[in-house]
Amino acid sequence: MSERKNDDFISYELQEFKLFEPLFRWARKKSLWIVAFCTGCGGIEMPPLATARYDFERFGIMPNPAPRMGDLFLITGYVTPKTLKRIIITYEMMQDPKYVLMHGSCPINGGVYWDSYNVVKQLDKYIPIDVAIAGCMPRPEAVMDGIMEIMRKIEDGTADGWKRYKENYEYYRKNQDELFGEGWREKDARRWLAWI
Amino acid sequence: MDMNEKPKVEEKVQEVPEVEAPKLPDTKEEKLVAEILKKAPYAEGSVRRERRVEFKVPADRIKEFLELASEKFEMLIQISVVDWLKEGEFELVYQLWSVSESVHAFVKTRIPRENAKMPTVMDIWPVAETYEREAHEFFGIVFEGNPRLGPFILEPREYEKHPLRKDFNMIGYVKTIYGEDFDRYDESKTNYVI
Repeated sequence: MSERKNDDFISYELQEFKLFEPLFRWARKKSLWIVAFCTGCGGIEMPPLATARYDFERFGIMPNPAPRMGDLFLITGYVTPKTLKRIIITYEMMQDPKYVLMHGSCPINGGVYWDSYNVVKQLDKYIPIDVAIAGCMPRPEAVMDGIMEIMRKIEDGTADGWKRYKENYEYYRKNQDELFGEGWREKDARRWLAWI
Repeated sequence: MDMNEKPKVEEKVQEVPEVEAPKLPDTKEEKLVAEILKKAPYAEGSVRRERRVEFKVPADRIKEFLELASEKFEMLIQISVVDWLKEGEFELVYQLWSVSESVHAFVKTRIPRENAKMPTVMDIWPVAETYEREAHEFFGIVFEGNPRLGPFILEPREYEKHPLRKDFNMIGYVKTIYGEDFDRYDESKTNYVI
């Protein structure tokens, strides 16, 4: 038990609950509910992944529109600044523990939109990423491989993006404010209150 | 017989350049263009191919022409803009669709790039509002009479720059916004790729 990394990343009310941590991790790994934030072209890759041929429900993955119930945040393509605002708010609305999986080369370094004025170049400057799948677009096999990777990471406790977000919140907040200007949360998120 | 045939062939070769561009047979497109040009002699009109016609109109009479054309062309499909940097002109293309005749028309007009202004066509086709807002945001053309011009799709800082203009410094803008660490070099870090 003591050999496992990041064993203390959830604080329990009762210390005895720590005993069940392997069980919790196994359960989290086997019931990833996704918030499918279908930006860009990866949204088109989701239906083959969800339907009979690659059927991701056999891994316990279920599409789920509500961020409050989601565990896995799929970012499926390029991200514009306008979308990034929604992504940040949605990510902060999700419950801990939460994991981020991003598809394609656009969120990694801009991809084919490397010189576009309206595409965010490095997504991991703004929110923490657990697994990134390279490719333009990745095939469903590659996405399944990424999902297996994140399941492995959940099991051994290295999928700690949500923890990094808490620890380095000032860094991420600084980058976000540089891109959007100070006070963007108050200005923009106020308009979405009806949907939150 | 052989001697007689040869000059005939030469005569035919000489005749070919004299023949003008082949006129389309009596099609609905030709009739439509002729009918509109009869009412609007200031415009130039041509048939590109089946179901596709083209008009070139001076900018000061575009409103008049579109009102005339709207009798035949019920729908406005799009307003697209081309930026001709060397000529210093914007080319506006009003794309019209005739439901009754099934003909797609391009109405082209050119305006100077500096302080580009156009009259709005919202009173003819109300849908023009959205297309004019888009053209205003990306190219900075002011459509006089459109009440909703202003920031539309982009972030406010991009609205001021008009990013689809050809003289918009894309790389410089991207580097100031997103940082310079996305540059594409090859593995030896000497040659700039792309």
